[in-house]
Amino acid sequence: MNLDSKVPSGPLKDKWSNHLEHINLVAPNNKRKHDIIVVGTGLAGGSAAATLAELGYNVKSFCIQDSARRAHSIAAQGGINAAKNYPNDGDSVWRLFYDTIKGGDYRSRESNTYRLAEISNEIIDQAVAQGVPFAREYGGLLANRSFGGAQVSRTFYARGQTGQQLLLGAYQAMMRQVHEGNIEMHTRHEMLDLVKVDGRARGIVTRDLVSGKIERWMADAVVLASGGYGNVFYLSTNAKNSNVTAAWRCHKRGAGFANPCYVQIHPTCIPVSGDYQSKLTLMSESLRNDGRVWVPKEKGDDRHPHDIPEDERYYYLEEKYPAFGNLVPRDVASRNAKIVCDEGMGVGPTGRAVYLDFRDAIERDGRKTISEKYGNLFEMYENITGDNPYEEPMRIFPAVHYTMGGLWVDYNLMSNVPGLFVAGEANFSDHGANRLGASALMQGLSDGYFIIPYTVGNYLADVELSDIDTKHEAFDEAADNAQGHIDKLLGVQGDKSVVDFHRELGQIMWDKVGIARSEEGLKQAIEEIKALRKEFWENVRVPGEATNYNKYLEFAGRVADFLELGELMAKDALQRDESAGCHLRVEHESDEGEALRNDEDFSYVAAWEFQGVNGELQEKLHKENLEFEFVELKQRSYK
Amino acid sequence: MASLLKALKSQVGRKILTGITGIGLIIFIITHLLGNLQLFGDAQAFNEYTYALESLGWILYVLEAGLVFAFLLHAYLGISIWWKRRKARPEGYSKYQSKGGPSHQTWASKSMIVTGIVLLVFLVFHLDTFKFGATETIMLNGHEARDLKALVINTFLNPLYAFGYTAVMILLGFHLGHGFWSAFTSLSMKHNQYSALIYTVGIIFAVLMAVGFLFIPLYIYFTGGQGALLV
Amino acid sequence: MAEEFSIHLKVWRQEGPDQPGKLVDYTLNNVNEHMSFLEMLDVLNEQIVAEGKEDPVEFDYDCREGICGSCNLVINGRAHGPKAMTCTCQLHMRNYSDGDTIVVEPFRAKAFPVIKDLVVDRSAFDRIVEVGGYVSIKTGSAPDANSIPIDKSVADTAFDYATCIGCGACVAACPNSSASLFTGAKLAHLNRLPQGEPERKKRTIAMVEQMEEEGFGDCSNYAECEAVCPKGISISAIAEMRRNYMKAALAGEEV
Ligand SMILES: Cc1cc2nc3c(=O)[nH]c(=O)nc-3n(C[C@H](O)[C@H](O)[C@H](O)COP(=O)(O)OP(=O)(O)OC[C@H]3O[C@@H](n4cnc5c(N)ncnc54)[C@H](O)[C@@H]3O)c2cc1C
Ligand code: HEM
Ligand code: HEM
Ligand code: SF4
Ligand code: F3S
Ligand code: FES
Repeated sequence: MNLDSKVPSGPLKDKWSNHLEHINLVAPNNKRKHDIIVVGTGLAGGSAAATLAELGYNVKSFCIQDSARRAHSIAAQGGINAAKNYPNDGDSVWRLFYDTIKGGDYRSRESNTYRLAEISNEIIDQAVAQGVPFAREYGGLLANRSFGGAQVSRTFYARGQTGQQLLLGAYQAMMRQVHEGNIEMHTRHEMLDLVKVDGRARGIVTRDLVSGKIERWMADAVVLASGGYGNVFYLSTNAKNSNVTAAWRCHKRGAGFANPCYVQIHPTCIPVSGDYQSKLTLMSESLRNDGRVWVPKEKGDDRHPHDIPEDERYYYLEEKYPAFGNLVPRDVASRNAKIVCDEGMGVGPTGRAVYLDFRDAIERDGRKTISEKYGNLFEMYENITGDNPYEEPMRIFPAVHYTMGGLWVDYNLMSNVPGLFVAGEANFSDHGANRLGASALMQGLSDGYFIIPYTVGNYLADVELSDIDTKHEAFDEAADNAQGHIDKLLGVQGDKSVVDFHRELGQIMWDKVGIARSEEGLKQAIEEIKALRKEFWENVRVPGEATNYNKYLEFAGRVADFLELGELMAKDALQRDESAGCHLRVEHESDEGEALRNDEDFSYVAAWEFQGVNGELQEKLHKENLEFEFVELKQRSYK
Repeated sequence: MASLLKALKSQVGRKILTGITGIGLIIFIITHLLGNLQLFGDAQAFNEYTYALESLGWILYVLEAGLVFAFLLHAYLGISIWWKRRKARPEGYSKYQSKGGPSHQTWASKSMIVTGIVLLVFLVFHLDTFKFGATETIMLNGHEARDLKALVINTFLNPLYAFGYTAVMILLGFHLGHGFWSAFTSLSMKHNQYSALIYTVGIIFAVLMAVGFLFIPLYIYFTGGQGALLV
Repeated sequence: MAEEFSIHLKVWRQEGPDQPGKLVDYTLNNVNEHMSFLEMLDVLNEQIVAEGKEDPVEFDYDCREGICGSCNLVINGRAHGPKAMTCTCQLHMRNYSDGDTIVVEPFRAKAFPVIKDLVVDRSAFDRIVEVGGYVSIKTGSAPDANSIPIDKSVADTAFDYATCIGCGACVAACPNSSASLFTGAKLAHLNRLPQGEPERKKRTIAMVEQMEEEGFGDCSNYAECEAVCPKGISISAIAEMRRNYMKAALAGEEV
């Protein structure tokens, strides 16, 4: 597998602009002649499809939901970063870059991360021009707030619905192109396989989720923007339809899967209440701006929070990290919540929760101000739990939220399969071992609006593609493969439901490949997943037929992929014998419980090459070394 | 012009026209009530009033034509809106409930089509009775005039008319109960601040109209056409 | 831990768009007050799958936190259930008690044909947006974000309308099956912002026309849509749509 990152040479600041100046261009009248498939209509896919279409390409866009507007990006609450420095608090592109790379614990590519910070400003301009109603000050200019892991206010937001508003912007831009005839939109279509001809990505095979028809689509390039794989944990903050299928099937066709073990666990979610629970709800991180996190000092203290006096409360983040306090990065906040709960100080019926308290903020700013800032989040919390956060502290606990790993891509966001580009959460991206808040939206839009459209052109201008159609044998093979997989799933007719398998997988992942990982646990996880996968193929029950709308069948296919991915994640975590960002190996913790990196041995991107499954998942590890020319590697400290 | 006509035929245009005709009819109905209340003025006030109206000559014809047009257009729009709604949901709910709160689904709003059609049928009889009804001729200040006052009084001595009218006037009240507010909203005069106010004013207006109109037949009937107000 | 209780369900089952549908009775004995309505249906489906006699009930969902607009059920005659400002996925079983009977139907409108059971096709909404629900700006051509200051109150009101999640409850609940609230909301968001101003007339006319083309009914100002809208969008949006529409038509904008 060739892991040439194709990072342009030259000073960090000039890499992207130089690259853009020298990139190959496709002549306007030739763009019409190129078909491009974009899988996914989230921020990454939506913005890429719209921009490619604007440039004149023929775009075919696919998504699972009934409308492009419903992609999972819609759920992002908190905000989007940019180095605009509107508040004049000393922010700059460099600082945003530096925070991001440090936040990721120095496990991302310098060049990519710098480009992300550079592009961030254009994203805000673009979104505002589209009519995205970001929050504003009374003077009529844009408002900013601070977010976890940053000491400046650089986060733009639209109440608690930033993702929705940005996605509507991208969706509307897409719809405009649909109207102009430049985008052919296929909703309720799931990509099931990648088609390669002469080693290049030339198309996909999909299932029409309404009719069940397996369909073939040809193109000159495929852009995959299918989102993250957090749902491998069964319970996560991701939308129910989020999945790894598209990316995993590409992986099986040769695309490297990078850093699968980097999973972000978000510190502020509503705790689990029972078995029937189908997903976890995130309470935006922005709440940590005003809410104070604490637990009772006494173990098992089950007094009502109001009855616990100030000096018997343990504000553990403020005490341990005086500089950042409640605004430490997510991994630090999550890990500490787990620590205090493991020590028995957790609250609530299950003891797996900590308080997030607004009492002081309400006293300081008044209820009105707090409700203006967080009103809808408070309502959401009350609606789910039945408790009123104006009156008593929220109970929160960490939950799986975001996956930094994904398909390996070079500087042009092209995977090692030529012609297959990967954008947004689906690629292994710019966040290293941990993603800072408000940076996924930034990355998705930067990939989609400002990078992919040019790098795809660069590829197309340079390549001779063979003249084929969807009757080509590669399409036959992929379509048969997809159909075969479905028939196999329906054929098992066992007696355990898909959901049960998913739930069990999730439990293994959460216990052993979750917040803290150990060699022993990971080895067990691998065995347990293997056994579960075996049982799945012997005993799963998928109801209904393949020839009409059948959500259980869709889910079965996704769970089957998760059952393979889970094993790869455990393998990757096992191989990474260091702690980095979200990946905490208990063998590598400082005395203070911080992640201890080993830059000597692990300063690389782990990209896995699929080699088959026969009982065990066969994967080969490849390494892309990370070189740091411009920043100095430091032990992260938020003290 | 062509585009304006086309616009008026669109969904929004139709609705704006219902609003305009609705308001037009409201204005008519106010003047009609004020006119009718002349029955309780001087002995010949009502007849003088109708005579004065009739002497407007062509102006009256223009006004009447406008009125007929407004009625017909309004009825047509109302019925077509209702007709379309049936097509827009071929299969209904087996259970349907309003959610309350800001909803204005009330008995009045839901029965606009019924109250409207009753009004349409009523109008045919009404015009037949009064507008084209046989009247005596009397001398008024030296010229001949129709004795409409006598016609009205005689008509309402018949319990069928008196009570039939009363019932229709109540339905008119309902029609206006939703109609008044709705017309303002159709003409985009709805702002959150005023919405509740317009709605309340609308209800008060509807009650005033209904009571104003139904007072006439009931008073005549119960006083046997001899009431003190009917000198 | 909360106690479990029983409920009776009457669920609309329909094989496909052209097949007739009917309400089918189910009883669930292990309902918990903390379950969301959709989690309750998940439990029902697990029960159906375990029994193996029929296919599970199909219904739409994705985010399960009230933002994607996927979920769409009419529960006891009310779109998104009894609570104001709530999506189906945010409705919790604590709103019901032991022995209740709950009727579950799909959003019904000619423009929203049933796909299967409770799943309907709402692509008509996409087509309404397609004809003009955007600001025509090309990527990369935007001026600095702060170059157009916008009065906070204008921005805030635009936001109120922009919160529409495109769920279609307004259509489902409207006695006329009108899409006026959805369309009005999109227009009210874009039309009041300076960015949206240049295309205001064109946009308004195009979207209004498309709404009719899709087979939605007229608006009779019932305001039931506002009552069921999970985002509480005011029917002032509809009034505003009419105003802008008439202004555009009077200005001679091509219809
Ligand atoms: C609750 C929540 C809150 C968040 N808040 C923030 C925040 O405040 N700030 C921030 O920066 N980030 C936030 N994030 C992260 C961020 O929202 C996501 O990382 C980002 O939106 C991912 O965008 P995407 O375009 O890559 O993928 P998605 O938005 O997940 O889109 C995936 C698309 O791919 C399609 N798809 C998937 N598989 C297939 C297939 N097989 N075939 C066809 N189509 C397929 C889907 O239909 C969908 O259209 C949050 C995430 C969550 C879960
Ligand atoms: C001639 C017979 C009539 C018929 C068939 C009729 C029918 C209707 C119907 C069906 C509506 C509801 C329109 C909708 O659903 O959007 C309506 C609205 C209305 N009607 Fe009538 N109506 C009649 C007479 C009247 C009269 C006599 C008045 C007034 C005195 C009146 C005043 C109104 C008003 C103000 C509205 C509200 C308009 C709007 O919603 O914009 N109508 N009518
Ligand atoms: C108690 C109630 C009413 C009484 C006593 C009454 C009386 C009359 C009379 C006497 C006339 C004849 C006027 C003329 O020929 O010059 C008339 C005309 C008319 N009335 Fe009424 N009316 C009543 C209610 C209504 C209502 C509720 C409506 C409408 C919904 C209505 C609509 C009309 C119309 C349209 C005309 C014809 C007007 C014209 O052509 O000038 N009336 N009415
Ligand atoms: S206006 Fe409200 S009810 Fe209608 S689609 Fe939008 S959010 Fe749903
Ligand atoms: S309920 Fe229907 S009638 Fe109009 S105000 Fe709402 S669209
Ligand atoms: S499932 Fe997303 S809004 Fe209900």
